[in-house]
Amino acid sequence: MQEGLLRIREVSKHFGGVYAVNKVSLDVTHGGICGLVGPNGSGKTTLFNTVLGIHKPDGGEIYFNDQCINNLAPHQIYDLGLVNAFQIPRLFYSLSVLDNMLVAAREQQGDKLFNSLFLRSKWQKQEEGLIEEALNILELVELEHLALSPAGELSGGQRKLLEVARGLMAKPRLLLLDEPAAGINPVLGKKIFQKIEEFSHNGTAFFVIEHRLEILFEFASWVYVMNKGKIVIAGQPQSIIDDPAFYTIYLGEE
Amino acid sequence: MGPLLYSLDIIVYIGIFGIVCLSLNLEYGFAGLANFGKVAFFLTGAYTYAILSQLGVPFYVCIIVGVLISAIVGLLVSFPALRLRADYLAIAVLAFGEILRLIVKSEDFAGGDWGMTVSPIFPYTTSSLIYRLENIGLIFIFLAICFIVVQLLANSPYGRAMRAIREDEVAAEALGKDRARFKAQAFMLGSAMAGLAGGLYAQYLGYVVPGMFMPMVTFTVWIMVLLGGPANNWGVLLGAALVEIFDRGTNIVKDYIALPVDPSDLQYILFGALIIFILLYRPQGLLKESMIRTKTLRSAHDARRSIKNKGS
Repeated sequence: MQEGLLRIREVSKHFGGVYAVNKVSLDVTHGGICGLVGPNGSGKTTLFNTVLGIHKPDGGEIYFNDQCINNLAPHQIYDLGLVNAFQIPRLFYSLSVLDNMLVAAREQQGDKLFNSLFLRSKWQKQEEGLIEEALNILELVELEHLALSPAGELSGGQRKLLEVARGLMAKPRLLLLDEPAAGINPVLGKKIFQKIEEFSHNGTAFFVIEHRLEILFEFASWVYVMNKGKIVIAGQPQSIIDDPAFYTIYLGEE
Repeated sequence: MGPLLYSLDIIVYIGIFGIVCLSLNLEYGFAGLANFGKVAFFLTGAYTYAILSQLGVPFYVCIIVGVLISAIVGLLVSFPALRLRADYLAIAVLAFGEILRLIVKSEDFAGGDWGMTVSPIFPYTTSSLIYRLENIGLIFIFLAICFIVVQLLANSPYGRAMRAIREDEVAAEALGKDRARFKAQAFMLGSAMAGLAGGLYAQYLGYVVPGMFMPMVTFTVWIMVLLGGPANNWGVLLGAALVEIFDRGTNIVKDYIALPVDPSDLQYILFGALIIFILLYRPQGLLKESMIRTKTLRSAHDARRSIKNKGS
């Protein structure tokens, strides 16, 4: 029995002749924050999309909680508790902020056709609890006062926050975050990571792509560095900071 | 008596097309499916009713079987059709409607070009005034049922998931919504309702002929929905009423006012201009999309607000 909550083994994804992800193997453990960094175009987001079932891998195996998820549809992967927050927010813009949150709740009684018509009292009870949870999370990201506004009226940074909040709403076992602090002011960016850390103590694991290294390295317990579709360095943040190869990758050759 | 009967006739049509509008609203307004083959399921319901009623089957059985067959046809069509992108979906179901019409036009079991007579639910022997009033009663009961069903669906987590799929299906799928299931169910329910309207239409007119099911029927329903306001059930009913009154009104007006051209010849042009107008100046329709009210939603939020205000 292996330890990783998410185990990626020799996974490849290519578009035409370009290998966006090339035989990547890595583990994300239960609990804690795991980072994924690398220059633009190194394949980080493609790796995420492959894990989520949005792209089918061209080779290799992906295990979540010891179950192979290679051939599952995105909604099935979601049901297992592997959830994602998109890099560019994909909100439901004509729905309210609160409704955006509620869509993301897992195991809803009322999203079955029969229940929605005939067992209304059954899900309305659950709905009350979900609204309470949603408002709590919105409060954390300072969006509570906008709960009933359409998501389309949010600013760029607020959209980003809602995207992350929506991921948390699913109470995932593992939440993939693609640049949660990008486009957000430094204070709030750091605050998001503090909230993420709090959630990680409550049993949610995080796998985070982030270019704001000073924030990520403060909170992550393990970091993978990706370049040209491959994992090139892995280790604790301090050891990566000390690695001269890391600077070459990120800042280019001297 | 003439104008009164004519007005009652308009109300019957508003009821029947109101049901079709609600069904398209479910598919397009809430789930985002561009069903341009609405008439196919309207036809299925009407012809099922006609064929069964000729065999002497009681009317309520005819209606129920018509609804079930339309639902099954809708579900079967949805499997290949929903794999297509929105624009190709529109073309595919539009063609399906024409195929069905050509089948009933050329097959003997459906009466061919001449169509079939249908025995009405209410006897003709009474006056045409009472006949219309009885039909209005019957049709508006069914309209009310359909309205309640779509309204309940729209204001539930199910409706929220449908709207999410309409907004961004990739994101909705990534948030655990099985879009294939939702779309197929919306398509099936919408087809069932269109079939119901078809059955009522056939029995009211007392006959069915293939010419009643031209693609223009689909487009008329689309105009009603776009004008009234997609994703608003009151809106689409308003749209149905306005378009129907406009359509028939132009027919009455020409008897009283001498116009250089016959307005009924211009109807298609006027409809076309109307669509362009709506899409340019009021793309959301006359009534805006209704908010999702799961009943508890607002009250919970308000309660929390008031607690907070007390606290601070």
